[in-house]
Amino acid sequence: MSTVNSSMAEETAAPRANTLRSFNFSARFWVSLVIVACVILMSLAGFIYPTGPAEKVGSLYDPPGNGLLMGTDNFGHDVIAVLMAGTRTSLIIGLVAGIVATTIGVGVGLLAGYVGGWFEELLMGVTNVVLAIPAIVVLILISMSLPSSTIWSLAIVIGITSWPWTARAVRAQASSVATREHIDVARLSGVRLPGILVKDVLPYILSYAVMAFVLQVAGAILAEAALSMLGLGPSGVNSLGTQLHWALAFQAVASGAWWAFLPPTLVLTLVSFGFLLLQASLDEVFNPRLRRGKRKQMKQAAARREEEARLLAEQAADPAARADPGAPADPAASGTHQHPERSEAGDPV
Amino acid sequence: MTAQHSHRFSISDGTTRRRFLATTGTLGGAAALAACGGATGGGGGDEGEELVGVGNNGEAGTGRSGDAADQLFIAGFQWSPPTNFNTFAGAPAWPASSNVAQYVYETLLRFDIVSGELLPGLAASYEVDGNESISLTLQDGITWHDGSEFTADDALYTFELGKIDPGLGVASFWTEVDEMTADGKTISIAVNSERKNVGAVLAQLAQQFIVPKAVFEKVVEETDKNVASWETDEAIGTGPFTLELADQTQIILARNEDYWGADFYGGLPKMSKIIHPIFKSNEDGNIKFQSGALDVMQQFVPQIWKMWESGKPVGTYLQEEPYFVPGSVPMFLMNATTPGLDDPKVRKALAYAVDYASIAETAMSGYSSQVLASLIIPDGAEDQWLDRDKATADGWAYDAEKAESLLQEAGYAKGDDGIYAKDGQKLGPWTMITPQGWTDWNAALKIVSKNFQDIGVDASTNFPQQAQVTTAIQNGDFAMACWYVAGTNPATPWQRFSDVMSNVDMVELGQTAYRNYGRWENGEVNDLLEAAAAAPDDDSKKEALTALDTLYRAEVPAFPLMYRPDEFFEFNASNWTNWPTEDNDYAPPMFRGAGNTWIFELKKIGE
Repeated sequence: MSTVNSSMAEETAAPRANTLRSFNFSARFWVSLVIVACVILMSLAGFIYPTGPAEKVGSLYDPPGNGLLMGTDNFGHDVIAVLMAGTRTSLIIGLVAGIVATTIGVGVGLLAGYVGGWFEELLMGVTNVVLAIPAIVVLILISMSLPSSTIWSLAIVIGITSWPWTARAVRAQASSVATREHIDVARLSGVRLPGILVKDVLPYILSYAVMAFVLQVAGAILAEAALSMLGLGPSGVNSLGTQLHWALAFQAVASGAWWAFLPPTLVLTLVSFGFLLLQASLDEVFNPRLRRGKRKQMKQAAARREEEARLLAEQAADPAARADPGAPADPAASGTHQHPERSEAGDPV
Repeated sequence: MTAQHSHRFSISDGTTRRRFLATTGTLGGAAALAACGGATGGGGGDEGEELVGVGNNGEAGTGRSGDAADQLFIAGFQWSPPTNFNTFAGAPAWPASSNVAQYVYETLLRFDIVSGELLPGLAASYEVDGNESISLTLQDGITWHDGSEFTADDALYTFELGKIDPGLGVASFWTEVDEMTADGKTISIAVNSERKNVGAVLAQLAQQFIVPKAVFEKVVEETDKNVASWETDEAIGTGPFTLELADQTQIILARNEDYWGADFYGGLPKMSKIIHPIFKSNEDGNIKFQSGALDVMQQFVPQIWKMWESGKPVGTYLQEEPYFVPGSVPMFLMNATTPGLDDPKVRKALAYAVDYASIAETAMSGYSSQVLASLIIPDGAEDQWLDRDKATADGWAYDAEKAESLLQEAGYAKGDDGIYAKDGQKLGPWTMITPQGWTDWNAALKIVSKNFQDIGVDASTNFPQQAQVTTAIQNGDFAMACWYVAGTNPATPWQRFSDVMSNVDMVELGQTAYRNYGRWENGEVNDLLEAAAAAPDDDSKKEALTALDTLYRAEVPAFPLMYRPDEFFEFNASNWTNWPTEDNDYAPPMFRGAGNTWIFELKKIGE
């Protein structure tokens, strides 16, 4: 009883300053957003950069200088121009592969989770089998057997090998949603399966799907880099992976040409770090249990709760003093009052 | 006979022969440094005595101490733990793998890639009678590592193995040879009277390791004539070294103190052991090489000049670009059965479209000289057969505008998509293939693809696995490809003309071809090839080869993209000097064939 009281008190005591704050975007969110935005801007900057990525401006591994900020790669191309074009390709591949993987994963998960029964067993059986095979092996085999590799074929291949974990997670959520009352209402009112899935089940797991999508994009960019480094990348196109592939093939590390392999490595690290951080901060936005306030707000709230607790304790103490020495009431009351303080103290900031 | 390895320790006066045009740019400094061929010994060296055959910067090291000072460290031939030293197996370990180095096994003759000569090996001399027969006279006193005597029977039996087990590579000897007999120390070979291809026979004589009959007779019995399946950790040869140890990390050869050739080569090899450490990757070996832990190797090092520019006593045979003597030609193949590519004018336009200098500079790291429109390598052993003026006059060079005007002359016009087409037949989209991981070839094709796109021909690259590429090329299942043809050997350039152009035994698309993968058809090429093979003297041979080269330039069934060395030959003079170089050319820059000469001539620093 008293717990409910205190939590209600907490809610009223911390007024919402504005709507943005109500989403509780953390600093992590903004940092990740800036990183991702920077990478996207850099990929677009390639359109206005004066040098093309296939323009020979120097010789094999010219060091930085002479008007070239990052020197040349093994083809004598400007590393910056190649990096911009490569980032663009990698982002496109990540985006397309993310859409493909999330669509398949959410579709399979929704159907399996909602329909249930043997159909669920079948779909999840297939999913488990696919999950058990290392995706990179399948990826390499499919890429090798393709007659020629374009960024689209590569994106789709990555997409269709990385959906299983999304499907499993979505199925778990969908089967929980499927037991709720509003589904029964929808079913009784004669809505068909696709309608229920899209209008009544999907919205409940949409936040999860968005986060899964962000993770898929980051995963796809890394998968592209791994494949391209093995030489299975898109032909005739620059990507972060192909850039690393050529640096590796022409022994940039051994020849000390750091400008050939460090920039794509950094961008790759940044882009996957940015997306993973974005996913983690979105998780906090969507999941109230993971929400953390700002230190100042939390201190204020803590102070307010302490004040309220003191008042409550006074109220409780008064009748207790008036009534007969009913000692048992005291520990219970103090325990209840101390609870929010304890949780406040234990909360990591 | 001993004159073949005459010593030339003369010190360069700076006016060295420069047979290669040095390109301008980053290399100017290195070239200037390298112009001085001699060097005074580094710290531990003999004061005052000029050393030759040292790093391209004129530096030499101070020598190693202890046992390692007497050992030669070599790399670039063995990349996995050695498991089998049967020279006839699929992938035998170094140095039993055929035609790599004459340290354990030797050949009858030894080919010199620079002079084109066939030097004596196990055979002291050879004589060619027209194009009908070859006779060889064996050296005196040759013994096997186990002490038994080497006889002509051993040589005969080695080639006989090709008849016993037709699956062996040596079996191809018998397509060119009718009969091989011995009389005492003289071996007579009757060249196939229809093919009359003396060059191919000599090439085999210079490449086939001679094995002991006593050992292989038993092998034939034990393996039921499946010699390739035999596994052994022993290698009994006639060479100056014996196999001492082979494990996961290294192969060690020990000097054969009873070597028969001590008189012939003027002494035993200077090193007591040859050690081949086994590396996981090129990088590992390159780092060890730079530090002087390896003396000589056959590995691709991008921008090797950086090593001597940074003061390391690293050297190559040539002091200037391309540093290595060209010995093979990666060819750009075009499938003549593909619509569009069946037109010689289109093929010639494509040959004009390629930026060869860019390929040489970046893909080959500068290790290729200027490509000439010829199937004859314009240097070293083959130079004598080349009509250079004719090749320059009616050949091609990089000229994108000329390429486009050739296409327009041939009736092609640019469509809305910027791609040339004629009667609805577009030039492309075509895919050009070469095996994944052949990095210089991959990079070269990437440049070619861009060159083609630039003039309006739609072509993209694809790099499948080697086995896949081999099958596709042999079956004619490709539009464009980069592939190898015969490298410099006693049978080239004839062999290369045959590889690229021969219309003998043409096979259908989908069936395995072993030459002319582009299925280029021509009525006169077979006669020209026959005439060149059977040419009785050098003058008529050159004339016949020039006729072939002229036909090649008119039809362009394929064109060279760059030159590659037969073997990369890089040395680090930190413990040994007197390496073979252009100014100290007592031996060619080789490991195989005539390349064993230098192991008898190296000089230890500090001695």
